Amino acid sequence: MENTLLFVLIFLPFAAAGLCWLVPSGAVRRGVVLVTAALLAAASLGLFGRGAFAATPESLLGLPLNGLITLADFALLLVILGIGLKRKNRWITILTLLQLVPLAIFELTLPEHGPIAPALVIDGLSLIMILVISIVGSLICVFALPYMEAHEQHLHLRSSRQGRFFFFLVLFLGAMNGLVAANNILWAYFFWELTTLCSFALIGHDGGEEATANAVRALVMNLFGGVALVCGIIFLYGAAKTLSIQDVVQAGSLGTMAFVAFALIALAGFTKAAQLPFQSWLLGAMVAPTPVSALLHSSTMVKAGVYIVLRFAPAFAGSAFADCLAVAGGFTFCVATGLALGQSNGKRILAYSTIGNLGLIMACAGIGTPAALAAGMLFIVFHAVSKGLLFLCVGAIEQTIGSRDIEDMRGLYDRMPRTAVITVIGIVTMLLPPFGVLMAKWMAIEAAADNLPVVVLIAMGSALGVVVWGRWAGILMSSSRTKKAWPEAQPALLRWPLAVLAGGAVVLSFLLPAVYASLVAPMLKGPIAGSAGSLASGLAAYLIYPLFLVLAAGFLYAVIAARQARAAVDTVYLAGAQAGPPESPAFTGPMDQPVVVSAGNYYLPSIFGEERLTFPLNVIAVALIIIMAGGALI
Amino acid sequence: MTSILLGILALILAPLAGGLIAGLDRRVTARVQSRFGPPILQPFYDVAKLFGKEPRMGNVWQIFCAYIYLLGAAVSVFLFFAGADLLLLFFVQAIGAVFLVFGALARPSPYSQIGAQRELMQILTYEPLLILVFVGLAKATGSFKVAAIWSHPEPLLLQLPLLYLVLTTALTIKLRKSPFDFSTSHHGHQEIVKGVLTEYSGPYLGLIELAHWYEVVLVLGICALFWSTSLVGLLVLLAVTYAAEIFVDNTMARLTWRWMLGSALLAGLALSFLNLVWLYLA
Repeated sequence: MENTLLFVLIFLPFAAAGLCWLVPSGAVRRGVVLVTAALLAAASLGLFGRGAFAATPESLLGLPLNGLITLADFALLLVILGIGLKRKNRWITILTLLQLVPLAIFELTLPEHGPIAPALVIDGLSLIMILVISIVGSLICVFALPYMEAHEQHLHLRSSRQGRFFFFLVLFLGAMNGLVAANNILWAYFFWELTTLCSFALIGHDGGEEATANAVRALVMNLFGGVALVCGIIFLYGAAKTLSIQDVVQAGSLGTMAFVAFALIALAGFTKAAQLPFQSWLLGAMVAPTPVSALLHSSTMVKAGVYIVLRFAPAFAGSAFADCLAVAGGFTFCVATGLALGQSNGKRILAYSTIGNLGLIMACAGIGTPAALAAGMLFIVFHAVSKGLLFLCVGAIEQTIGSRDIEDMRGLYDRMPRTAVITVIGIVTMLLPPFGVLMAKWMAIEAAADNLPVVVLIAMGSALGVVVWGRWAGILMSSSRTKKAWPEAQPALLRWPLAVLAGGAVVLSFLLPAVYASLVAPMLKGPIAGSAGSLASGLAAYLIYPLFLVLAAGFLYAVIAARQARAAVDTVYLAGAQAGPPESPAFTGPMDQPVVVSAGNYYLPSIFGEERLTFPLNVIAVALIIIMAGGALI
Repeated sequence: MTSILLGILALILAPLAGGLIAGLDRRVTARVQSRFGPPILQPFYDVAKLFGKEPRMGNVWQIFCAYIYLLGAAVSVFLFFAGADLLLLFFVQAIGAVFLVFGALARPSPYSQIGAQRELMQILTYEPLLILVFVGLAKATGSFKVAAIWSHPEPLLLQLPLLYLVLTTALTIKLRKSPFDFSTSHHGHQEIVKGVLTEYSGPYLGLIELAHWYEVVLVLGICALFWSTSLVGLLVLLAVTYAAEIFVDNTMARLTWRWMLGSALLAGLALSFLNLVWLYLA
């Protein structure tokens, strides 16, 4: 049964992707994507029901699986090498060769070249990731069906390229599931590189100069991470004499060589999670259609980066290297949120916020106490749901109003009431208690209390986040209409993923104590078990549920009170110089001419402008990474 | 169980205390300015009058936000007196703070829009400072729980003098008192009129006034944590702190929010950092 579920989660997406590529019919594609999405979600829930286990599938369709993956690994690297040669891009070629050659030597000299047991391990962390990938990721794929139809109509393509698009989109889910289930680190490496290739193909999907350039940048940066990962694997094997991730994590003290490996793996994680100074590839990825951004930011790709670091976190907890990692993560959280403050482009705000939140997860991995690791894992779940939702909202808004600038979303409630309300829900679940993201942040701050620089950075980043999100949600409601707004029309496949994710963000937060008890708490046994007492009491059901219910009751009361208010409607205050109808406020200006009222947010470009900040911040980030590497050598 | 009863008691008594403090504040301020001043109970008369007025609104969001502001403030007071986690109750308080901004942004009036932006700048300044103060309290006592901090055997002011200074600065910003009264002000002639409150009137303004009283009580409660060992010491500390607030409110001209962000925040961070370093080294 377990093997069947794993087969569905990892290999079904490969098969479905193949179908999408080969069959040009839109109806077939729609069916395949819907069925795959449903099966993935169901299988992930089935796996959740069974809990943690280990498995070693020997063969796939009669072929030895270990050999198959090794073969696929080299095939994949050769494909990327081909891309490099075809585009005559020196960097792609060099970085691929830097992986290909060491990997080949390593594979050939590997003494016990056989399947190590177990090849796949499902524990709490893997389950969290699989649930996020298979449910949030699947919803994004469903959303992509109507979105891409509209997108291609808008682009006036002669022949549809949706087959290629869905091939990589669905493949991505399989690769991610494989990555988080793998216990053999060479398997993990294969799936890791596969996500790099998928993101390259998806970012460059629309073609054109900008898309191609940004796709190549993403590829180069992630290949750099791939080189770091290969080197990390080789060092890790040298130190621990095993390819099993679980064995490494449970081995206890491993010596300097292992820490060099951890530093390299963390570097690989930093590239994939777009931590400073590698943020530019994720910012460039916005040129892709919205479902791609949503997938990259919420449930796949960047989450792989934090996953791999969290995976190894127990092995280096409490070391000098871990402290440096925590500072680097806290730094990214603080400054990326600051950079988000300087932006008015909605997708860019979301991108910087993603980078920042991943930094916070890195910081949690570095702090390494049970409370911190729990915070990091919970953050992955709640961030994925809310961020996926917000990306889809921006996509839906952009297709209707033709802009992704938040200033153009002023008064969106008048035009798209349903989407506006869902966006506000998404923002509130990112920002305020009793929702999961904030609760995880709360745990992170308390866990960081012993590390002064980190706690200062998190406190600052947290406040910056209030400004970033607060003004966005606020102006969505900025309504001058006096009558009730009608819900806008929207295709069902567009509307339902939004509704499910918004509902999911709220319900999942309510279930926080259950999520913690079933997925996170079991992970905190073993080498990192410690005084999780304060954490357990902080997240106790008797505290969370009453708080949630009281706030929900107050919220409902406020909704009813606001709806039933029998109040006379006023025009806005304009110091008595009112002119024009209440729907479009204006005041009497010079020469008795009406001047339409306008207002804008503070973006403070002189403080938070990315043109000013990016270079110095990158320099600091590089310095922090070098210090981190130094920390590994101590 | 006692803690829940204490919380409920605070929920009922806090508006009374907040209103009385507001009355005292106005009276003392008047005396400082050589005026006679209103009766101590004037704030209650004012709010009662507001609730008696004809309700007028801009749109439903605005009303909704006023209620949530009150909700956030009241629940955080409850949590404080029930002895809950300081950071958690602070974030619950942030629900109210953020919804006050939402309410102001929900109207296209330029006055309330600018007020909202400035209020966000105030949040940006006081939030990190308060979080660091809470970290200091936890570091000194070993717990983030109000109940545990409250029963700490030594007055915390002696260990955390700089953090108390930071706290009072952050609270001046939080209570929007001069020199940090950018986002709203009790003076009618400000260039942004009443900032975030411009578009509120009647009973809805009454709700916001009520929420503000809760906030004042919460703020003084946090100050009280610094001298929780004796009632006399606590009352003296609160009286001196609030008197200093009134004095500063009356003698300082309003600064700009840029100054606040550039100087008050950086100075506050530096002072907190210094005090925390002592704690970490100790």
